[in-house]
Amino acid sequence: MLLTYLEAIRQGIWEEMDRDPTVFCLGEDIGIYGGAFKVTDGFIDRFGPERVIDTPIAESAIVGAAFGASLTGMRPVAEFQFMDFIGCAFNQISNMVAKTHYLWGAPAPLVLRGPSGGYVHGGPFHSQNPEMWFVHNPGLKVICPATPYDAKGLIKAAIRDNNPCIFFEHKYLYRRIKGEVPADDYVVPIGKARLAREGRDLSIITYAAMVNTALEAAEVLKNDGIDLEILDLRTVSPLDREAIAQTVKKTNKVIILHEHSRTGGLAGEIAAIINEEAFDDLDGPILRIAGLDSAIPFSPPQEEYYLPKVSDVVREARKLEAY
Amino acid sequence: MNKKTKSKSGSNGNRPHNGASRPKSPLLVKNARNGAPASSPKNNDTSLRTYSIPDLRLEHPNLSVHQSIEKDKDGAEHVRYEVTGNLDAPVPAIRDSQYLDKKQCIEIYRYMLLNRKMEVALENLYKQGKVVGGVYFGLGQEACSCASAYALDKDDWFAPMIRNQGSLLVRGFGASDVMMQYMAKADSPTRGRDGTSHFGDIEKRNMVSPISMLGDLIPVMAGVALGARLQERDIAVMTYIGDGGQSTGVTYEGINFAAVQNLGLVLIVESNLWAYSTPSEMQYRCRDLAERAIGYGIPGIIVDGTDACQVYDGAREAVERARRGEGPTLIEAKMMRMKGHAIHDAAAYVPKPMFDFWKKRDPIARFENYLVKEKKWLNAKENADLISEVERVIEAEREIAVNSPMPTPESAEGGVFCEEGCHEIKPKYGMPKVKKRTGGFKETDAAVHLK
Repeated sequence: MLLTYLEAIRQGIWEEMDRDPTVFCLGEDIGIYGGAFKVTDGFIDRFGPERVIDTPIAESAIVGAAFGASLTGMRPVAEFQFMDFIGCAFNQISNMVAKTHYLWGAPAPLVLRGPSGGYVHGGPFHSQNPEMWFVHNPGLKVICPATPYDAKGLIKAAIRDNNPCIFFEHKYLYRRIKGEVPADDYVVPIGKARLAREGRDLSIITYAAMVNTALEAAEVLKNDGIDLEILDLRTVSPLDREAIAQTVKKTNKVIILHEHSRTGGLAGEIAAIINEEAFDDLDGPILRIAGLDSAIPFSPPQEEYYLPKVSDVVREARKLEAY
Repeated sequence: MNKKTKSKSGSNGNRPHNGASRPKSPLLVKNARNGAPASSPKNNDTSLRTYSIPDLRLEHPNLSVHQSIEKDKDGAEHVRYEVTGNLDAPVPAIRDSQYLDKKQCIEIYRYMLLNRKMEVALENLYKQGKVVGGVYFGLGQEACSCASAYALDKDDWFAPMIRNQGSLLVRGFGASDVMMQYMAKADSPTRGRDGTSHFGDIEKRNMVSPISMLGDLIPVMAGVALGARLQERDIAVMTYIGDGGQSTGVTYEGINFAAVQNLGLVLIVESNLWAYSTPSEMQYRCRDLAERAIGYGIPGIIVDGTDACQVYDGAREAVERARRGEGPTLIEAKMMRMKGHAIHDAAAYVPKPMFDFWKKRDPIARFENYLVKEKKWLNAKENADLISEVERVIEAEREIAVNSPMPTPESAEGGVFCEEGCHEIKPKYGMPKVKKRTGGFKETDAAVHLK
């Protein structure tokens, strides 16, 4: 069936709650209201207020409570109204949840999920992509799907995983993209990238909303005779090193594209992986396209300037192809 | 800096009391939440609000700490802490417990001895250079650690703070576990990966490991109670916070979450007067931290943290409330940290008369006196035998700990994730019963924020 990205996530959580009585949801305004973006719309009627819990505005308490419940064998799915607010719970995630298995052997099967990303003029506190805060936190799995199929398969995989998973839903994609999603139960494995487009000339390594940006750029570049390969990481921690190396070995030229700020961003890490795994295969410098090193501005012309766009990819690809 | 000439009027509990609102009975205000619909944990019946704080103490110390300027012999000025109040007040009696019998009192006393002698052994291990890092002591707080944890049942959960090493012993960990943690040994509960009381056990002893950041355990323990409730079990979840740690925002979030969700949190607020080097006068302004309970809409109670019977009675009633599904309780236990923050800290900033005052209130000496002289539940020989038995236990545990090897360097690797087959996740108290409701899945087309 054809589903939006948002419906795919909704269906994924719904099916897991139906399948497994240990799954429950907590977060702000997720009950009768159904969540700020309506991901849990109708859940409280189906699963009851015991399993769809409206919480105080207290992100550390939400994460703490989810973690505590997970220690008793539950599988909590905690919603952040916007992923920007995950910073309010940073200590709980970084020092409590992420370290627990390594330090004292307690598994914490919980999911922290919510909308992230720009392109909707949300301003500096409703547009961020804070995934890198957690990539640099061993013990967490960080998932950023780009398609309805992956969104559903990965949210189900995250709920079934025995580890803390942070699931970034790109809010620009929520209702803008539709995709074919099978009616049958399926999961998408965490930590595996996929080729969003096969090509021979140049690789774009990216994820989430930027996959579509790259795909659009590929259509433009086709007219130049440049055949883009697009690797959708799907999971940014752990990274699929093998898939990264493979695409570089195939096309020998690579651009890394992400929405968050350039400095300390994922591109730096991926460039290092390429150095380690495929240095001899490179026929040009590793390029990166990223957000500016500032907060994300509010006004549409400023936001557009800040964020990567199709024309950036086209320009950088032509430059690299000519190298 | 000007010398402060008077102390703040509202501050920690070692101030004169308005005794009028202090019921003599240890009974908490009854909070009957029976019949509250599951969908609405918040019950607005105002009779549930607790506007008075029971106080079990038999004395109300009126000491207060403020900064003052002292001149040394060369005329140079130094800022110091100074204590004022009645430093010669007589030591009160132990308050008879409403619940504990002779055997239980002696058992708690034994745990307190184990706690203290384990810490003496740790101090010696430190002096012998066998400890990695520092040692944290619960000296003066043994009654609070041991008698509170003693109120828990097997199915209840707890999470200690750094000074609650006695609680660990009550829950069945060996002194060697704690010693090996301090020595960073391969057989320590964290296999060398963390020290001190930073370890846990979700299988047998239902203990959540603390982290160094204060207050984060409170919502975690509320979540443990939430998990159990979803499995249709009301349990008590006990944890601790100091008068320093309670200043953190997550403390508020956690207690409030437990209150709103009516979860069986038993929070022992250990008012031990010093947070590292900062006196409680500089942490908060209310008279008693137990008063905070009023703001959360939950019962609060004050106990003398150096009186094991009071601590137990307060904890026991809170634990029973929790198990009846009646929500959280805040227990403020008043006492003093009788050493520095850790072994490196001589606590020179603490005015000496305060040490003298609280030394007279040593929880073990008081309880020993109670059991041997007042109750005559132990004669001198039995007491001496008990003490030497505890010393033998600690010596044997010390041997185990010292003989454990250091971990291999490579053991730093692995275990970041729960891999396939590493742990089986299953509900601790049974699979939640799911009430199937009628709502079916339909696509949502509601209006949203930021299209």
